[in-house]
Amino acid sequence: MNSQRFIFLWLFVFLILVGSCTNKSDTGQPKKVAVIVSTLNNPWFVVLAETAAAQAKALGYETKIFDSQNNTALESDHFENAIVSGFNAILLNPTDSDGSIVNAMKAKDAGIPVFCMDREVNSPQAATCQILSDNYSGCVAIGKYFVQTLRSKVKNAPIQYVEILGLVGDNNTWNRSKGFHSVVDHYPNFKMVAQQSADFDRNKAMEVLESILQANPDVNAVFCGNDAMAMGAYQALVAAGKAKDVGVFGFDGADDVMNSIRDGKIKATGLQSPQTMAKTAAQYADEYIKGKRDFAKKVPVAVELVDQTNIRDYSNAKKS
Amino acid sequence: MPKNLKYTVFLVLIAVVAYNSFYFKKLDDVKANTGSNAGEKFDAAAYAQNFWTAKLLPASAHATELSTLIPLLKTDEAKAFATYSHALGIGNIRYFLVKGDGKITAVSDNDVTVSLPSGEVVKLATEYIFGNAARDASGLIKITEFDNTMDLNNVSAELNKIIRNSVLPTLKSSAKPGNTITFIGAIELNKAHLHLENLEVIPISVHEAAGMGVREKE
Repeated sequence: MNSQRFIFLWLFVFLILVGSCTNKSDTGQPKKVAVIVSTLNNPWFVVLAETAAAQAKALGYETKIFDSQNNTALESDHFENAIVSGFNAILLNPTDSDGSIVNAMKAKDAGIPVFCMDREVNSPQAATCQILSDNYSGCVAIGKYFVQTLRSKVKNAPIQYVEILGLVGDNNTWNRSKGFHSVVDHYPNFKMVAQQSADFDRNKAMEVLESILQANPDVNAVFCGNDAMAMGAYQALVAAGKAKDVGVFGFDGADDVMNSIRDGKIKATGLQSPQTMAKTAAQYADEYIKGKRDFAKKVPVAVELVDQTNIRDYSNAKKS
Repeated sequence: MPKNLKYTVFLVLIAVVAYNSFYFKKLDDVKANTGSNAGEKFDAAAYAQNFWTAKLLPASAHATELSTLIPLLKTDEAKAFATYSHALGIGNIRYFLVKGDGKITAVSDNDVTVSLPSGEVVKLATEYIFGNAARDASGLIKITEFDNTMDLNNVSAELNKIIRNSVLPTLKSSAKPGNTITFIGAIELNKAHLHLENLEVIPISVHEAAGMGVREKE
């Protein structure tokens, strides 16, 4: 009986040693990078995920894209899979700035670095680095152009404008709004007659502006938190016969808005670059795996103002 | 032990346990006390004032001459950006700390137009002092110092406020066409879409030679 126990004990020790020798990272197989993206139903995020995966692959990593379908629970499953499957880094576009913290922390506890792209998690400890569009500064530039164009048109006269917000629970919504107001609120003759959310949705923005216009028919301009809502707002103005009198300002740099700026229908937008964010995240993951540790917690990516004066610089509409 | 005393002790015990079991706190306070800067609120105004006097103004002495920068941007754009530009973020928007001198040719509500000896024209902004040029141009602020991008945004806003309060009033009141001016300032350029006509300079330090003497505004 004792000798049996002895054999089992040695067999156990032997198996542990054999198991530890088959660690994948030491066998010369390529290291792996997971791209976990909030949704692949939106072309913006498809570009983000595919660019990140392509860049990581170009840097010599095996890559896999996980679609969270805007579901934090599904995102959690993807993290479990990534941890169990031995991924060396995770490039994350979170589903929820609060809800995704616990998922990122799980990876951190397992020794896997997480690099956020485009959307942030509300915890500086959860991610190694967060690479985010500089929404605030982009909207400072839009706010400046907004004031410049409207003041030159109606000098020091009262100017009424509407702000259509994105999702109220999204940090990007408020960073954009704060950047815009950090400029416009310097001018007391600019009066915001309505501020309402349309959830980043084109049809909702159209409905929201239609109802606002009934109460405020003398609006001079509309600032929208993204380009889809800017297109919806423009449609509402066309329907009300005010498209030529009311300036519409968006944010994103979507194809249809870039073309509308070219046609003189939309005044301006802030051009984001999902490609820059994705490539930088993959680059940083590579640097982390190779030993670098001192990353800035958040890295802003410049947003470029595209308006009536410089649209010629952007001759080819972006595929995003 | 009498029954009443037993109950009283029991109730007091329950009350003590209950009292210490839960407490109320404002959600804002809880949020403020989590994160890496727990307990210390960033004072953007104090940071900006210290940066302005201790770093930016001394660094202005090493600003790039526009007479050096503009020709280099025309002949070797990549070298000019690599050598002289700074930015806290990544992307195409970059900032330069510049200096120059020239003759004032026009004064409007929004800016002072200055013609440089080389023939180029720059505009010293007097109305729209916004953005990150003053914060980023010197390259002396490191992004790793900040966990929170809103702190960085607030530093920009406070630096712009200093410019509005301490540089603009005297510049606006004394700038007259025909006068000669020397200036130090910050400019923003897009490295993918470069335009050098009518460069907008955010003024940081201005010296104006107005015939009767030299006045300094910083």
